[in-house]
This record gives sequence, C-alpha cells and structure tokens, in this order.
Amino acid sequence: MLEANNISYAHRKFTILEGIDLSVNPGELLVIVGPNGAGKSTLLSVLANEMGKTADPVIFKKKTFKEWDDKELARNKAKFSQSNNSDIPLSVADVVMMGRYPYFSATPSRYDHDAVLTAMNETDVAALKDRDYNSLSGGEKQRVHLARVLAQLDNDVQNKLVFLDEPLNNLDVLHQHRILHTIKNFTDRGNTAVMVLHDLNLAAQFADRVMLLKKGKIVAHDAPEKVFTREIISRVYDFPCTICANPVNQNPLIIFGI
Amino acid sequence: MRNKLFIYLLLSFLLLIFLAVWSLYSGVFVFEKHSFLEIFNGIIANDGSIDPSERFVLMDLRLPRIVMGILIGSALAVSGTCLQGMFRNPLATPDLLGITAGASLLAAITIVLGSYIKPYIPEMLHYSLLSIMAFLGALLTMVLVYRLSNQGGRTNIVMMLLSGVAITAIGFAAMGLLIFFSKDEELRDLTFWNLGSLAGATWAKCGILAVVIGVSFAMLLNKGKALNAMMLGENDAQHLGIPVERIKKQIIVLTALMVGACVAFAGTISFMGLIVPYILRLIFRSKYNIILPLAAVWGSILMLTADTVSRTIAPPSEISVGVLTAFMGAPIFMIILIRSRNQM
Repeated sequence: MLEANNISYAHRKFTILEGIDLSVNPGELLVIVGPNGAGKSTLLSVLANEMGKTADPVIFKKKTFKEWDDKELARNKAKFSQSNNSDIPLSVADVVMMGRYPYFSATPSRYDHDAVLTAMNETDVAALKDRDYNSLSGGEKQRVHLARVLAQLDNDVQNKLVFLDEPLNNLDVLHQHRILHTIKNFTDRGNTAVMVLHDLNLAAQFADRVMLLKKGKIVAHDAPEKVFTREIISRVYDFPCTICANPVNQNPLIIFGI
Repeated sequence: MRNKLFIYLLLSFLLLIFLAVWSLYSGVFVFEKHSFLEIFNGIIANDGSIDPSERFVLMDLRLPRIVMGILIGSALAVSGTCLQGMFRNPLATPDLLGITAGASLLAAITIVLGSYIKPYIPEMLHYSLLSIMAFLGALLTMVLVYRLSNQGGRTNIVMMLLSGVAITAIGFAAMGLLIFFSKDEELRDLTFWNLGSLAGATWAKCGILAVVIGVSFAMLLNKGKALNAMMLGENDAQHLGIPVERIKKQIIVLTALMVGACVAFAGTISFMGLIVPYILRLIFRSKYNIILPLAAVWGSILMLTADTVSRTIAPPSEISVGVLTAFMGAPIFMIILIRSRNQM
C-alpha cells in the first residue's frame, strides 16, 4: 500500500529524520507518537509528498507520487494538516465543498452535495454550514477541515489513504472519540490511515500498529501492546510511568507520573 | 450556482453595452444625427451622409478609446483578482506590489533612450517594443516581490507591501532622473505615464491588447476553483489535486503580460485591481470561481464609467482617469487596511 525506505530529512544541516523504513498495509491504522521534536509531522509531510524530492521515493500503490496523475491521486489520498490558515472568507459549506474539487470542473453534482452533507454530519458541523468560517472556534475549524478531508475521499475507489496530523487538537472528548470512530470505520473498509497523535491512551485504544519516534529515529514500530511497555515509554519520554491493562477493553493503559 | 453566475454575467454585459453607447454620445463634440443606427448606417454605407469630422471623432477617437477602456479595465481587474488569490491577500494588486512601477520604469527608459533606435524600426514595432519592455519590467518586479514575501507557502503581508513601496520608490527616483534628462516631447510622454490616461487610444494598440488579454483570459478565467483551494495553503491545495506550482507560474507570467501591456498604452491607472475585487467580495465573499469571471466584466464597466466621466466633467479639457480611480481606490485601500489590522 504505502512503502518508504530510508527516509532522511534535514533542514539547514539539522537532521530531523534519519533512516526511517516503513510499510503500511491496506486496512491498517498506523499511529505515529513521540515526544516534541521527534519529527512526527515532518515524517507525515514526507510521506504525503509535501517536501518535494526525497532520495528514495515513497511508493503508494506500487507507483511513486510523480507517476500519479494529480486528480487521480487526490481521489486516492488526502491529508489533514495541523496548521490551518485562519483567514478564509467563505461559508463552512464552501470550505467543505473544496474536498470535492477533484470531482467536478465547474458545477458540483448532486452526489458532490450529498458527500459534503454526509461528511459534515460525520464531524458534527452540519449545523454550522452557513456560518462564516472565520467566525468559528479552533475546534470547530478543525472539524470543518476533517469534514473536507472526508468529503474528498467519499468515492468508489478501493484502498484509499488518509494522513492526519494531530486531528484531535482542540477537540472535546466527545468529538475526539467520534472522529476516531469515523477513522476506524474508514480503515475497517480496507482503507489506510496514518495519524500523528499525542494522546498515548487513545493511540493504544484505536491503533493497529504504533510507531514511536524519538529525535528522528524509530524507537519501536509494532502492535500497541508491544510498543507501550514501561521501559520503552519512560525511557523515550524521560518521565516515569506505569502501564497496566485497561479494565474495560484490556488495551494498555498508560499512567504517567507514578 | 453556475446558472446564477451566467445571469450575473449576462446582466453585467448588458450594463456594459449600455454604458458603451452612452459613452459614445458623451463628449464635447455633439453628433448631428442623434440615432445610433443612423450614424452607423451612414458610416457603413459610406454614402457621404456622415460628415468626415463626425466620422473621425466616432471611428478614430471615441470608439478606439471605449474599446481600450473596456480592455484595460478588464485586464487590470482580472490581474488584481488573480494576484490576490495567489498572495492570499486582498491588498495584493499590481500597483501596491510595485509591478506597475516596474513596468512604467522600463517603459520610461524605453521612451527616453528609445529615441536613438526608433528611426531604425518600423512603426508597428514601436508599440510592441514599449509593451515588451513594460512586460519585462512587470515580470521582474513580480518575481522579486513574490520571492521576498513568500515564506514556505505563506505570504508575509508586511514584506509584500514594503517591497512594493521599495520598488515604487526606485521607479519614482529613476523617473525623476529621466525627466531631468528628457527633451520636451519625451517629457510630455512621461507625464502621461505618471498620470494614466486613455487619450492615446488607437486601433493598433487595441489590437495588441486584445490579443494579450484573449490569451491570458483563456488560461486564467477558469482558475477560480484553484484560487479558492489556495486559501487553504499551498500544500493543502496540492492535496486537492491542484497543480499549484504550474498555476502560480501562469499567474505570474500572464498578469505581468497584461499589466505590462496596459502600462505601455495607458500609463499607470492605479487601484483598478483593488476596487473591482473589493466590491465583488462584498457581495460574493471570496468565491473566486464567481468573482474572477465577474471581475473581467466589472473592470470594464468601472473603467469605462471613470474614463467617460474624466473626459466630460470639465469640458473642454479632460482630467486624467488615473486621478479618478485613485480617488475611488485610496479609501478602499484604507478600509481593507483597517479590517486586516489584526493580521499584520
């Protein structure tokens, strides 16, 4: 599905990523975690083809990004970015409709409107659809962009791929879980998601596999219960922690500070 | 939305045609025959029913001037709208970015120094030489301003406006030097540039403008969706399948071409690229897919109105149209500044 070998990235002689190999299978939800400055967002940008050239190209569905047609690629992969431009003088529905741009040339079809509405319901922003985007709160803006990404991948293509850079920032508990369930549903249908998260417990609960980064290198890349062990986590985060089984669902439960 | 856009465009076109007819009849010279059809029938039939002086005023003074006003207004408004989309800011216009200044600087150099080479080239090329030089000036400035103000896919607004100020200052200084060195006739040409006027309209200039604008519009007017997506940031637009780099190059080259041609033939008519998108944005927000095609028509409407007023308001002389547009544009510039105060 998505394969990358020996990813390295440096910014002005300052190494951010070093020798990262990764392969993600269809239907997999991969969560990238790590302390600040580990290179999580940079890795996601490189994988999503935002950094231009890399020494060894990233392979998506057996093709490099360069070999893909722009429109076709947009129907197969999408990315949710962390830095949202604050000034977009449009209505919420107009912003979500941008997700359908790869599908129509001048006038959106009925199906495009439906996809926008479905996506807005999914992230709970349908009630805001006529509001001015600029007047929304940070969490609401975040959900609008998530709806846009969902609308972009609403099609019949098999094995789609979505990148999400800290999609849960600014969201309340209800919406955090709603969004994660939406993403889980998406991967259950044979699609792939690569996501950067800060909350280790949410990662433990939802991820199929977890990649733990520190200072641009992979520390562990495995199933959540193998990555989230007391030794690894307290060493990487440099902070004491206890890990036990979650009494409800038996996932690892990480408690810091003890 | 498509149908609505079509209706808006149609209504705007009708208004433009009405204005063109009104403009044709306005002016110091009054036609003997007062029906539009009568005059044109007379001219087409060429049966001597139309006085040669009337014919001259109509065919060689007013009509080319109206056509040039329509073309230049449209070109400046579309350039402004495209630049605002690319820079993601409503203050990005050819004049505020110094692109007009860059174009008129090279045009002025061509006028003053060009007199040495003019005798050796055919007349049709005089206009072309001027437009080519103005285009080069516009293109160089555009690339410079873009490089200075674009930081990792985001626009630094302060850098954008200040580099415009710097380039305009250089242009101003060089213009002063050129005025000092120029002869009488060149001096008149230079003054004409600084103020901006459509008085020098001829059919040859209209022809060149029509070709430049035709090519540019064919490639730019359908970029509304792409400009909308670029509000998200360049990376996110790329994820939506928009070929961002290619579109930016097209906008840079084609707006430089249009601004260059406009400056070469009509001088610096300021603020046109600011006023038209501002008014359209008040009604349609920033939906570039709607305001970009509408800007093409409303630029013409505004320019034609301003020019007709400028040549009829103080008969028998006329005031420069650049003065009028500056009077309209400067307050709007202030309003936008006040509104975007928080983002600076």
